[in-house]
Amino acid sequence: MRLPRFSLPQFSPTFYGLGLVLVVLAIIAPALPILSLRFLTNLLIYTALAYSINLITGLTGYVSFGHVVFMGAGGYALGYGASAFNLPPLAGVALGGAAGLVLALGIGIVTLRFRGVYFAISSLVTALAALQIVLVTPVLNDGRGIGLDVEKVGYPARSWFYTIWLIVSAAVVVTYFATHGRIGYGIRAIKSDEDAARALGIDATRLKLYVFMLSGLFAGASGAVFVWSTFGVYPTVVFDLTFSLFMLAMIIVGGMGTNVGPFLGAVIVYVSYWYALTVPSLLGLAFAAIGVIVILVALLIPEGIVGTMRRHFPGLRRILE
Amino acid sequence: MSVRVVAADVHKSFGGVHAVRGLSLDLEEGRVVGLIGPNGSGKTTFLGVLSGALKPTSGTVTIDGRRIDRLSADKVVRRGIARTHQIPRPFPEMTVRENVGVAAMFGGQHRDPQDALKEANRVLSLVGLEASADRSAGVLTAQERKRLEFARAIATRAKVLLLDEIFAGLSPDELRAAIGLFQKLQQELGFGALIVEHVMRAVFALSDRVVVIDEGRKIAEGTPLDVVRDSAVIEAYLGVDEAHAPP
Repeated sequence: MRLPRFSLPQFSPTFYGLGLVLVVLAIIAPALPILSLRFLTNLLIYTALAYSINLITGLTGYVSFGHVVFMGAGGYALGYGASAFNLPPLAGVALGGAAGLVLALGIGIVTLRFRGVYFAISSLVTALAALQIVLVTPVLNDGRGIGLDVEKVGYPARSWFYTIWLIVSAAVVVTYFATHGRIGYGIRAIKSDEDAARALGIDATRLKLYVFMLSGLFAGASGAVFVWSTFGVYPTVVFDLTFSLFMLAMIIVGGMGTNVGPFLGAVIVYVSYWYALTVPSLLGLAFAAIGVIVILVALLIPEGIVGTMRRHFPGLRRILE
Repeated sequence: MSVRVVAADVHKSFGGVHAVRGLSLDLEEGRVVGLIGPNGSGKTTFLGVLSGALKPTSGTVTIDGRRIDRLSADKVVRRGIARTHQIPRPFPEMTVRENVGVAAMFGGQHRDPQDALKEANRVLSLVGLEASADRSAGVLTAQERKRLEFARAIATRAKVLLLDEIFAGLSPDELRAAIGLFQKLQQELGFGALIVEHVMRAVFALSDRVVVIDEGRKIAEGTPLDVVRDSAVIEAYLGVDEAHAPP
């Protein structure tokens, strides 16, 4: 008698590894003390942001300096939804993702025509402009921010955690599909030589716009969770370019365009930052610490951790990506 | 019915520079047209317009009667016109097989990556690059890159290929082999081609018709033999004195 054949879907070891880590986190989360859960939530917010910027900057090479604009848009969507329509937080997170996606569509149609440094500058300008616009928009409280009703929000540490966990998981899955199969080949070709890619029939305009929209979706949703877990949205916080720099630092350290790089980068950068904040003698030097890490990585291992390991250990190439 | 590409009165200016000034040209599946002219005469610009990489300032390009001159390059490929670049532009991070596979996946009819890579193997053996299939495209020699560029264009299954100086820089023996290979492939696959060349031996061996341009204008058109006897052509290439000198 033949046994029915049972096979796992053909995903890469890296994908299963990441999946395992995420599942373990989800299982142990309820048992964690509240402050550890809070720490993990923050870490996952940064992880989701790193996956978000990785989709556009890591995969296509378009450096999105103003990526924080999507996070801010998502944060404001949640804050405005809660104050104006009494929207529950989860609906606010969905609205935040939608806001990020739509904003990326609008911005991307224009700025993705620019290459190299011109794209980087135009993206920086959109973030600065967004801040100025919010500061003078009456329905958004003229830039005074929107506080959430603390009594209504409560302190749902587990809801925060599982919401951002879900967003990170979705980002990991989307990254996998954007780096494999037909779409993966198309995106790699665009990153390598966009004009040559077009000459072989790749609709670069559309493909770039799609990954940019997905990128906006994840940044927007993460921004909404950030606002939800910090009880309010304030323009100088959610449009702070420091977030953009953090996201870039994370994928530079971890390895641009890879599947596991954003995760590794987020852990290393966020943990170092958090550690630097707790050491009195390093007070005020937390950002400098991140700067030093990024400079060292750029000098010594410019392809990030994942890229460098793949280069030096060819045996890892099939399993690490 | 064979595919026909018609360019009519194409102009292309960059600011004040008129690179192409009213060129018309017919290309047909199964036929090879040579496009020659001195350096800077507008050959590559014209090829850019035909391939969709550049938009003409005025004039039209049609394929079987349908306008393609406002389409983006990727759509032009899917309508059946593929180009090679004078300086080959492989994706150096990919293997040779993947380079060709991408062309089959997006330009050709093999949407599934596994099918496309199989098709790539077939195309690579056609052009004699099968031994390099697993090598990184970044380490190829200049001549291998040219072959890869050609292989990618073939893999799109385009009916008309625009080939920019694929015979340049070959030794006499290599040139003979390359011309033989081209003839064999062209008969087997039946594509039409516009070959932009400085290597006259290739142009004369392969072209059914030759078009000569100078300063963006057509100055002669005909069989290869007609063209070499044309005084305007000799003048453009060699200067006025030679053309009017007694034989």
